[in-house]
Amino acid sequence: MTAMTTNAGVPSKGQNALRPYYAILAQLCALGVLIAFFTIQNPLFWTLANFQNIGMQSSVLLLVALAGTLVIMIGSIDLSVGATVVLATLVTAISVDLYGSVAAICIAIATGAVVGAVNGGLLVYLKVPSFLATLGMMSVLAGLAGHVSGGIAIIYQDWGYTDLINGSFIMGVPNVAAIALLTALLLTFVALRTKFGRYLYAIGGGEVVASNSGVPINRFKIKAFVVCGALCGLAGALLAGQVGAGTPAAGSSILLNSIAAIVMGGTALSGGVGGPHRTILGVLLIAILSNGMDVTGVGGFTQDIVKGLVIIVAVAITTDRKKYQFIK
Amino acid sequence: MTETVKHTSAETSAVALELLGVSKSYNGIPAIRDVSFRLRKNTVLGLVGENGAGKSTILGTINGVVSPDEGVVRIHGEQAHLGHPEEAARHGIATVFQEQGLVPQLKVYENVFLGREAKFTTFGVLERDRMIRVTQEVLEDLGIDNVDPKAVTGDLSFGQRQLVEIAKAFALSRVYPVEPIILLDEPTSALSENEANKLFEGIAQWRSKASIIIVSHSMADIFRCCDEIVALKDGQVMQQLEASETSPDGLHELIVGRKREEEYYKEFRQRTPDDQVVISVRDLAKEGEVEPTSFDLHKGEILGVAGVLGSGKSVVASMIAGLTPRDGGTVMIHDKPLASGSSFQAISEGIGYVPAERNLAGIIGAHSLEWNLTLPGLTNIAGPLLIDLSSRKSAEVTDHWLKRLKVRAPGRRALARNLSGGNQQKVVFAKWLARGVDVLVLDEPGRGLDVGAKEEIYDLIRDVADQGTSVLLISDNLPELIGLSNRILVMRRGQVTAELPAAFGAKPEEATIVKSMI
Repeated sequence: MTAMTTNAGVPSKGQNALRPYYAILAQLCALGVLIAFFTIQNPLFWTLANFQNIGMQSSVLLLVALAGTLVIMIGSIDLSVGATVVLATLVTAISVDLYGSVAAICIAIATGAVVGAVNGGLLVYLKVPSFLATLGMMSVLAGLAGHVSGGIAIIYQDWGYTDLINGSFIMGVPNVAAIALLTALLLTFVALRTKFGRYLYAIGGGEVVASNSGVPINRFKIKAFVVCGALCGLAGALLAGQVGAGTPAAGSSILLNSIAAIVMGGTALSGGVGGPHRTILGVLLIAILSNGMDVTGVGGFTQDIVKGLVIIVAVAITTDRKKYQFIK
Repeated sequence: MTETVKHTSAETSAVALELLGVSKSYNGIPAIRDVSFRLRKNTVLGLVGENGAGKSTILGTINGVVSPDEGVVRIHGEQAHLGHPEEAARHGIATVFQEQGLVPQLKVYENVFLGREAKFTTFGVLERDRMIRVTQEVLEDLGIDNVDPKAVTGDLSFGQRQLVEIAKAFALSRVYPVEPIILLDEPTSALSENEANKLFEGIAQWRSKASIIIVSHSMADIFRCCDEIVALKDGQVMQQLEASETSPDGLHELIVGRKREEEYYKEFRQRTPDDQVVISVRDLAKEGEVEPTSFDLHKGEILGVAGVLGSGKSVVASMIAGLTPRDGGTVMIHDKPLASGSSFQAISEGIGYVPAERNLAGIIGAHSLEWNLTLPGLTNIAGPLLIDLSSRKSAEVTDHWLKRLKVRAPGRRALARNLSGGNQQKVVFAKWLARGVDVLVLDEPGRGLDVGAKEEIYDLIRDVADQGTSVLLISDNLPELIGLSNRILVMRRGQVTAELPAAFGAKPEEATIVKSMI
């Protein structure tokens, strides 16, 4: 007993050196456990076809989660990501027959960017907390999507677009997955190796410090929301390509899954830590969890319960309690 | 130590509060050491000392917020269980805080009995009428006629809210059968002269029903209302004496207690500043806080600004750094006008700001030293793509400044929150030095640092001035201000009341400055 207390009183250097990597190690372990568990339950899980499947299923999620990461990094949140994606699928489905594939993607991205600009403007100029501004925006966009679609899927005629998105240019990697991965790499570079990224971290880590250090906070907050919206637009364009239609449903499951992935990845909702590179791992965890539950025959309702619990546990683990005297 | 507690009248009248040998350290740095004094019933006791003398820790010990390492507190002769605010309240201890402790959304009577609702509850239902009535009685007893118990607290003026806090303190005696002991922490610092007068009239009247401890920077306040005074220095009681036995000057010598040490403030390193004006401030004003103020800051000069809390000295600094918008006047740097409230422009013109609230405004604790240090000057470490940052340059810059400023840290990747206060402060300086600035605005650069860390920061300030950087130094610590500055501006209630030269070997006396401060 006495020996133990003495040991606890003097933290050894080795423990501290590994500390920053605890989170990543824990995630890798969780990933390994999940893969092993699902493979034992159903050997079909461990097949190339299924991993391609996971790649296809999680590309849209990866883009949306990356988008959300940028906003959560600055300590805000965007609850309208799912609704933005939905609107973008509709916009894509309508414009692909009118203007062609490339233009449709651009229009979807622009639509998302406009939504992001409005969200950012509400936060910065009207001082509406992002939680509420984007909650309202979520409802507005859902209503808008209902008007545009009349509540039913908009099926487009241009099958060339579907082929483009679902096809593969590089070694069996689905194009949709390639786009998502490239975006992830690009954003990781932007976050860690550019002024833009560093400023987002600084704003989330300490807004007053950032302001005192000459970071134009308002401008970069809006930029973060605009990029977030644009990425959701891109995600919507890809989703429309995958399903061959613009679909007015699916907004809420995208939102839930993306926040789960971000938080699982280690970007704390308090902002300033984590980043796109961490979200990639989080998306992988969520994607494997979802796919694994699918292939092992877990029902949709149970999946919702599991994912909800995962978010709660992940937030409980990652919250920087020192930073908050009061949790509201 | 030189502790000579006067027992003359203390023995004849009852003691309301007594501290015996109270000590408290934070992270091994003693905040108060062996503090003993007594507060007689129905008297007013003044607690005076410089910043860091331990006044807040003593108040905290009495009201239960701080749990001391050693010592005993007796309230009305009964030994108190230390470190329990609720128990202190039951004994009648009530604190009127500098930062007010009222909930602005609640009504006055709700605030007055906040946390004591149980005494006004029958079968789980709150008797609002009785609460309002008792609040009204308390206010009337105190002669407070300008506060409505049903008013929303946030709608009241600062002075009125302070009266509510005092009423809250007296209301304790309605709930617990004790006579209140009221702790007033810098009560006049945010009051107008008129409001302050009213407060003192009140204190003279209320003392028949309470015992009062008042903490103040203002000698005038202390001598106006106190019967006894406890002088503190460096966490120790120098003396407890009758107010009638001393004078402001005598008291001041007690709390400063040491000759200014030329060595400590590196006065021999003080250089004569160039004639070249770097910043020229004309009629700078902020409504209600700073009257039109003008001064010049020369190249390589350390210009000190003295003043009590609320004198406007920090607001002046904040306006020059572009953090607070100004209501009038101009600020020119190298003959170029600075826009109001643009810290972005101020920084790009070469003004760096070292804030008083280091953890809130100076460093990002969750980020590495490297990220903190390079934040203001990211353009200096641009990579080959121009939009990227070079990790090599970033590491070089960081290592250079960590070494140059002798920052004691495991490395550039260490998290800023794991450093000591002194080393964190060095990182804040390094942020600006690495970026390159012509002017440094320092708000309380030595606050919260221990003696050794302070000395290193003073050395650093001299280094900075030697490089030709101009320094605007805001400080509550007079020896520090006198020791470091080439010239001192004194502010009182938003106005510059004196400008004193402070050349090496011809430093002004503290008393001279204090005279213009209060």
